[in-house]
Amino acid sequence: MPVEVVTGNHAAGYALSVAGEANRTARGAACGIYPITPQTEIVERIAAFPFTKGRVVAVESEHSAMGVSMGASLAGARAFTASSSNGLAYMVENIMTAGFYRLPIVMVAVNRTLGPPWNIWADQSDTLMLRDFPWIQLYCSDNQEVTDTTLLAFRLAEDHRVLLPVLVCMDAFIVSHTQGETDLPEQADVDRYLPDLDLPHRLTHDDPRTLGGLIWPDVTTSLRLETHEAMGRVPAVFEECRSAFQDVFGRDPGGMMDTLEVEDAEEILIASATVATTAAEVVKRARAEGRKVGLVKMRMFRPFPEEALRRACASARRVGVLDRDYAAGLGGVWWQDVRAAFQGHRDDVVIQDYLVGIGGGDVTPGLIEDVLEDLRGRERAGPPVWTGIATEKEVMV
Amino acid sequence: MSTPTRIRSGAMAFSEVPVIPCNDECLLRAGNTNCGGCGMSIGLTMLGRALAEAEDTCTLAIPACCGAVTAGAFPTTSYGVPTVCTTFAASPAVASGLAAIRDINGESGQVICWAGDGGTYDIGLATLSAAAERNENLIYICYDNEIYGNTGGQRSSATPHGARTTTTPGGKEERKKDILAIMAAHGIPYAATLSIAHPEDFRRKLLTAFGMSGMRFLLIHSPCPTGWKSEPADSVALVRMAVASGLFPLVEIFDGERYRVNVEPDFTDPAEYFARQRRFHDDEVDLEATRRTCRARHERLRFLAESFPA
Amino acid sequence: MVEIRIHGRGGQGGVTLAKLIATSRFLQGRSVQAFGLYAAERSGAPVQAFCRFDDEPITNRNLIYEPDHVVVLDPTLVALGITGGLKPGGWILLNTEESPASFAQEFRGHRVATVDATAIARGHGLGTRSVPIVNTALSGAVARILEIPLEEMLAGLAHLGFGGANVASATDAWNAVVTAEILAPPTEPSSDGARTPAPAFRGPSFVSGAGGDLPGIRTGQWASEQPGRQQYVPPCNDVCPAGNDVQGFLHALAEDRVDDGLEILLRTSPFPSVCGRVCPAPCMAECNRIQLDGAVNVRQLERLAGDEGKVELVPAEARPERVAVVGSGPAGLTAAYHLGLYGYGVTVYEAAPQVGGLLRSGIPDFRLPPEVLEREVDRIRSLDVEFITGSPVDRIRLLDLARAHDAVLVATGLQELRGLQLGVGGSDVVMQGIDFLDRVKRNEVTLNGEDVVVVGGGNTAMDAARSALRLGAATVRVVYRRTRTEMPAIEEEIVEALEEGVVIDFLTQPLSLEAEAQADGDGSVHGLRCRRMELGDPDATGRRRPVEIPGSDFDVRCTRVILALGQSPDLSVFPEGTEVREGEALLGLLETPLYAVGDLATNDGTVAAAIGSGRRAAMHIHQTLTGEVVPQGERTRVRSDVDQWNDEVIRSGALRMHLFERHPVDMGESIGMDRRATTFDEIHAGLPDAGEARRCLSCGVCNECDLCVTYCPEGVLKREGHRLVFDYAYCKGCGICVTECPRNVVFMSHL
Repeated sequence: MPVEVVTGNHAAGYALSVAGEANRTARGAACGIYPITPQTEIVERIAAFPFTKGRVVAVESEHSAMGVSMGASLAGARAFTASSSNGLAYMVENIMTAGFYRLPIVMVAVNRTLGPPWNIWADQSDTLMLRDFPWIQLYCSDNQEVTDTTLLAFRLAEDHRVLLPVLVCMDAFIVSHTQGETDLPEQADVDRYLPDLDLPHRLTHDDPRTLGGLIWPDVTTSLRLETHEAMGRVPAVFEECRSAFQDVFGRDPGGMMDTLEVEDAEEILIASATVATTAAEVVKRARAEGRKVGLVKMRMFRPFPEEALRRACASARRVGVLDRDYAAGLGGVWWQDVRAAFQGHRDDVVIQDYLVGIGGGDVTPGLIEDVLEDLRGRERAGPPVWTGIATEKEVMV
Repeated sequence: MSTPTRIRSGAMAFSEVPVIPCNDECLLRAGNTNCGGCGMSIGLTMLGRALAEAEDTCTLAIPACCGAVTAGAFPTTSYGVPTVCTTFAASPAVASGLAAIRDINGESGQVICWAGDGGTYDIGLATLSAAAERNENLIYICYDNEIYGNTGGQRSSATPHGARTTTTPGGKEERKKDILAIMAAHGIPYAATLSIAHPEDFRRKLLTAFGMSGMRFLLIHSPCPTGWKSEPADSVALVRMAVASGLFPLVEIFDGERYRVNVEPDFTDPAEYFARQRRFHDDEVDLEATRRTCRARHERLRFLAESFPA
Repeated sequence: MVEIRIHGRGGQGGVTLAKLIATSRFLQGRSVQAFGLYAAERSGAPVQAFCRFDDEPITNRNLIYEPDHVVVLDPTLVALGITGGLKPGGWILLNTEESPASFAQEFRGHRVATVDATAIARGHGLGTRSVPIVNTALSGAVARILEIPLEEMLAGLAHLGFGGANVASATDAWNAVVTAEILAPPTEPSSDGARTPAPAFRGPSFVSGAGGDLPGIRTGQWASEQPGRQQYVPPCNDVCPAGNDVQGFLHALAEDRVDDGLEILLRTSPFPSVCGRVCPAPCMAECNRIQLDGAVNVRQLERLAGDEGKVELVPAEARPERVAVVGSGPAGLTAAYHLGLYGYGVTVYEAAPQVGGLLRSGIPDFRLPPEVLEREVDRIRSLDVEFITGSPVDRIRLLDLARAHDAVLVATGLQELRGLQLGVGGSDVVMQGIDFLDRVKRNEVTLNGEDVVVVGGGNTAMDAARSALRLGAATVRVVYRRTRTEMPAIEEEIVEALEEGVVIDFLTQPLSLEAEAQADGDGSVHGLRCRRMELGDPDATGRRRPVEIPGSDFDVRCTRVILALGQSPDLSVFPEGTEVREGEALLGLLETPLYAVGDLATNDGTVAAAIGSGRRAAMHIHQTLTGEVVPQGERTRVRSDVDQWNDEVIRSGALRMHLFERHPVDMGESIGMDRRATTFDEIHAGLPDAGEARRCLSCGVCNECDLCVTYCPEGVLKREGHRLVFDYAYCKGCGICVTECPRNVVFMSHL
């Protein structure tokens, strides 16, 4: 399929559908779908896709959308869905359950501000609230990344060393509704990239087992450890999937994190999704001015790639974390994990949090330049810096 | 991520119970944790027999309820069929997914939701209604013990008027929801009530359901000695009285529009039914009103069955 | 710090007991903890609760692994182990009716106390029958052994809102608790108390491990009661004079196993076809189904088995001993039949030209067609029994027979007919019913246009009256001294006689036959003078004695009187002074054992009683001649796989009658009323099929209805062939199999 100009939602809907279709030679595909702004176009695309061996169930709630997808997955099918914001919040119980069931479901989430009051614009607080569940979380910054990451997510999730569901996230409107040139892969290539799904613990009459009954504390601990170990294998398997992607599609889908000018950088910005690509513009400009700054663009939030992050920031004296999210009473969610990654390894780094674009506020290069400016002047980290209210400089507290 | 260091756990390893290798095919295996005299156990056992008779099998989707506890501790299970214990409201959705994949793969076997009244009448009603509206190809069985038994006996919207629960300490003031009418109103192919005290009727309805496709809703009146505060040995006798007195009519509704009354109540005085359950207190049950309600409901059902016969 | 561990079963209130103890201590200013070990186990499962109290604040939040004391709410838990970690010298308080001394040995090194809290709780109505709530009672016992003043424990109860029966329970238990001397601990230190560290644990994989194994919960340990299978004596079997296994043959018929039904009957009686027509069927009078919708039609079912069943008799190996049977009525023939089956050489001596006794001569064809009798006699003959007819035996001949045989059995029945002095009238006018019936059989009587009066109320009276009608009598009246209630005739026969047109004058005593002038002057027409009676006080038999009403005489037109007043035995065959006792050899009279059986010995007057008597005599002879003990098995067969055999008769009160559906009795077909009074053809056509047998409630005997299996919640009750198998390893003892057994076969016993 040639490169087309489509929205991020279109790309996600397409990628989910062709991935499902690719399993037609195995047990097929199914998903539950339920609309929510700004995700709606994704499920519309899925509903319109002519699956050879698949069923799209238009359900009455996000909770049931994940329910249907779980049922399909438990039956050995490739299952997926998409949601956003309060929809995710309503779905939470089943999101968690899919993780505990170790089902390789892929869900595209369009990051939207949690309400009320109601706000449909970009904010990562919705998916980040799912951070403690057994889900892999990947954040994308453009339509191509959405397409490629979604396809890669299936291969990653379904790998027997992993068997974990994956969240593929994109910013509301900034990606979901923004037209851009996108290479939408051919079905034949997708078929080559995604092998038939073989879920080892699928429900079958040959080996009747019960999933989700009771469990004792020690077995619980043991299963948590099993999940932890599977999470631990994700970075390596991700790299394998990335490499296979290049073999099939002839392009690099990107890594768990991508770095820009970090080798000798004294100040490094850590950001994800579209904030990261905007930040890249600022970093490039600053480098041109001879300032030693760099950028770590995070794609993977779970498992949190601590070691890679420390390596990328080896030269940094100061790290600025750009959080388009807010954890009440704490600050930015990414900031917590970045701080934890350095804890006990390096205590000579200033790790400062910047809350940017909360509630979908536009994160401009100017804002990020202000952030860089603030960061450069810090000898020690302070409380999270709020931006986006009135004039940015005044509200830094 | 670092390699986890394991520190030995405390003094008690709960899971060190002997495991008996699975060697039988029955639906509900002995050695489960259900109370003695549990109506749900009888229902499951009868379901297993009907499946065997029909040379059919099933996959169970069980929401939070005693039936989920029945399974026992992972990885052992008291169920002899593939089973998933879903979240409380999700069983019809999960079953929809299971049934969809079964169907697109051309496989046999029933997909059965086995749910209590809490998951059916209350928290799962929207999910159930949606699955019914979509006419999903599954069987939904509610074993209705009229109480949140799993949590120790709180009111549900299936709890009958007058019953004491831990959340209706003075007896429930509201009436029991008519879930059968609600489900039939979806126009689903088959909706029926079953009583374990009428095993032949019970069996026939299961076989009827197995032979159909689309959404089939079965409601079992399921005694709960613990919640009803009754003698375990009285379980079957109690629900038999409920049918005889007209408290629990045995009916079938086809496509939401054709009716059949299966057992004519003789309108036995329900006094004994109430007296043998300590959840009811004399001054909290209006026997006369109950008798009137039973008769009126039955007359309505009989009228429907005569006017719109199955 | 005092730490107490409580072992109970789900639903018994162990946590509440912990709370009661803690509260009573809290009210005394102690720091306390009370908690349960919560898991998925339900009502009846072994569970634990814990209680701690101390003068200092308690910060430990662990379970109690090394308790100071242990309280056991359910004695069946002892077997599961309750002493783990218990400190030396600690109390073990057991809820049991047994004495503490009986546990002292098992619990050496600990102090044992017992109290029957279950009885106390039940006595005060706490909990349900299966799950008595014993915790408040045990709180009193705990206070006693821990030397907590009772009022402090009662204060704890009051604080938690327990009053009335609970306070009484606690107080009773305080008073009732018994303690034992502590025995020295065993020399070998028990490893029980040592804490074994848990092995390093790595649980099963969620995604790759094979699932589906059974949980190893032996739920049988939850049970305090266990079901078993018992058997009672059904009333039909109890009452059958022939000793038939009525329930057994009905069960076979209910399963359409007619041959098996006949086989069961032939174990006791050679006359199913005969009894299926003429038996008064006391089994039906006692049938528990009367309380529901009428007795099972056992008589007709026996007839069906006899007429339609096919059984090949296999006698035992021939024996050298020879037995003489004098008389070929039902008693003699039954004895001959069983002796034949035992393998004896049997010769039957009959005075009449044909065998059968009263069966042959005394029962009209419309009730017992001769070919039916012939068929059953042929079956006896097939056992190589020799019949010598036209061969009367008197006292002298009896001695000859005794010399020639190893045993002699006399079954000559009742030969002496009771008469009635009616004044005028010769033998052509007044006849004995027995003679009349015999002559009718031989076609020697016609009664065209006659007015016949039959005197009596037994079957012979009914048979004579009905025969008279068929022989063309203009009127047939039966006069009987008492009322219908007292009539000994079979009820059906009375009904049929009335239907056919027989008139019965109750409370009527014939006095004398009066010659009467007749219009045509031949003087053959008579009137029978009668007197009205009323019932007075009961006589020795319990029947109310008829008393004459003075001045009530009246005449009944009659040309013929038939007397059916009963018979008595003729003992002239025996040596002078013989006292006849049924079922015993008349020893000492002759060298050979001599038996008197049937009506001759018992005067019971029914075919069934004669059959029973004949069979018992045969068994007795066999036992005497061989020394072999013959099992009686009289009342019913005991099933080999019952756990408990109750030698008592089960009545409807012990059945769960509400579990039976009503179903009308099948009376079978009869020939039409238009033909009835004119033909000697058999009236009844029998039953169309054996379906009536399915009405048998099978009282107190398992008939494999399998409702218990159907309703067993756990499927631990299975049928394997004819056996019911309870899997006690898993049976939770809920008792549904008991309450749903309609016939009281499944029963519960305390463990």
